[in-house]
Amino acid sequence: MTGFLLRRLGQFLPVLALAAIAVWAVVYALPGDPTTVLGGLDATPEQIAAIRERLGLDQPVHLQFLTWLTHTLQGDLGTSSTSGFPVTQILAGAIPATAQLAVLAMLITVAVAIPLGMIAALAPRAAGGRIVKGWLSLSLATPPFWMGLLLVIAFSVGLRALPAASRFVPVWEDPAGALRNMILPALALGVYSGGVLARFVAASLSEVMESDYIRTARSKGASPTRVVVRHAMRNSLLPALTVGGLQLGSLLGGAVVIEVLFSYSGIGRLLFNAVAERDYAILQATIMFVVVVFLVINLVIDVLYAVLDPRIRLK
Amino acid sequence: MSLDANGRRLARRRFPRPGTVDLSSRAERFAVMRHLLRDKAALAGIIFLSALLVATLSATWVLPLDAAAQSADVLQGPSLQHWLGTDEFGRDLGTRLIVGARVSLEVGFGSAVFAAVIGVTTGLVAGYLGGWWDAVPMRIMDVALALPDVVLALVIVAALGNTNLNLIVAIGIAFIPIFARVTRAAVLTVRERAYVQASKAMGAGSTDTMFRTILPNVLGPVIVQFAITAAVAIVVSAALGFLGLGPAAPAPSWGGMLQTAKSYLYQNPWYAVFPGVALMLTVLCLDRLGNSLRVAMGIQTTETAKVAR
Repeated sequence: MTGFLLRRLGQFLPVLALAAIAVWAVVYALPGDPTTVLGGLDATPEQIAAIRERLGLDQPVHLQFLTWLTHTLQGDLGTSSTSGFPVTQILAGAIPATAQLAVLAMLITVAVAIPLGMIAALAPRAAGGRIVKGWLSLSLATPPFWMGLLLVIAFSVGLRALPAASRFVPVWEDPAGALRNMILPALALGVYSGGVLARFVAASLSEVMESDYIRTARSKGASPTRVVVRHAMRNSLLPALTVGGLQLGSLLGGAVVIEVLFSYSGIGRLLFNAVAERDYAILQATIMFVVVVFLVINLVIDVLYAVLDPRIRLK
Repeated sequence: MSLDANGRRLARRRFPRPGTVDLSSRAERFAVMRHLLRDKAALAGIIFLSALLVATLSATWVLPLDAAAQSADVLQGPSLQHWLGTDEFGRDLGTRLIVGARVSLEVGFGSAVFAAVIGVTTGLVAGYLGGWWDAVPMRIMDVALALPDVVLALVIVAALGNTNLNLIVAIGIAFIPIFARVTRAAVLTVRERAYVQASKAMGAGSTDTMFRTILPNVLGPVIVQFAITAAVAIVVSAALGFLGLGPAAPAPSWGGMLQTAKSYLYQNPWYAVFPGVALMLTVLCLDRLGNSLRVAMGIQTTETAKVAR
């Protein structure tokens, strides 16, 4: 197990380093710079030069990267060029909002995926199975942001029951208010990723149901429920764990379109605004955050997988 | 769905080695086509997509459909005169949907082609040559895979401007790793086969072996991935349009229409419904088509297109 952990960490660190360079380079390569936004249209060349010097934009490329890297490693992500607040402070405000939305969306995802996946796998020919399969195809073809619009039309415009714009209400302060604000965006995200996950659950469950040890369990006289719940589900959930983990990773990285649609102040909308305002510091920090979350989740899934399935370690 | 299962059984018998359909063989191409035409879902998909393509092309060139024609009937629901209703300038939504389909199809298929060309070449080289040729590009692909597609496209389009070509590149980049991985995996299964050895024994160079002997045999999974990628790319391009980064204002696009519709949800909710339906049907058709192709060629997919949101 130690060997596996070391090997996996050995893969993780170079990819993380490359990603850091890539993120920095992509943002650096963006044409148009904050000076035009900050200085306004009638800034004199001297004013622009002063801004560039203040932001360190007058230095050579590699020095700029090294400065950024050392500061980042020291936990200093710079200051936002539009609002003037430290980036760490802005990120700290957005991360809980996105995390809370991601957790609720993930709960919906799992609640959708496991029952639907089981029905599709266990009764593929029955009416229920056919309906579920049809629903899965439909839900995969429905972009989450359109689903969000439909939910707004139904619950905000039609029934006037839920807000069309979602504020971030911490769940530990006001659970009901938090749910009220988050349920529409979480549904829009969860129904879609639930459809994706359900397909994986169905595929792996129907594969497991064909295997020898299931036949053994049946011939021992185990009831159909017991065969599925105790024997088949355990093994079939392993592959689904990977997909579910990746989904959680991308949810934690901020759902840009959904957050913009619901004006929800999480990482995704922060990133979108940073792009629009050419706020380099925020942009670098948010993209880096998204990438790190994704890579860390990937690492955690692999390790978890090795813990749950000893065969993986030996490969 | 029984057709699927039946088809899968047929396909297994027809192609003894799943996943290595040789598309340079006319008989095998014919067998795949026959499967597609027998699968109702795939056939419906082909018909819908062809109809959409013909409609959107002829709308610009032949039909007297004017997507910019305004009228006094602003933000109306569906009626006999305007089947799908009108937008905030009284323009016919049905017309704008058909004309706007062109952008979606162009950007969707364009970015899938872009990603496939680069990804397949990378995967071919990595899988066949191995060693450093494998390690370095594939690690870069791992990094690229960690960048979420909408985010990457957002940054690139914001940087380069929102022309169709830029949209294609911005969206396509995110899908290169998937093609590289799919191709590499397929190459690894065929590279030691007898016909590859035979080609080498007859003196074919690496380039020749890769592109003329191996490539036709690994195209199966690539084509399946292409259909899935085109579907996801259409959704991503609509998402970008929804964020205001689609084609510039007067030109209709599905994503852009949804963005505007968001401001008029109270006046005309249908405005936000129909572009999404068009989007959903297109993606559904591509998905069914991809699935049917996968079954016809007996491919077990391990890779999935990334989730777009």
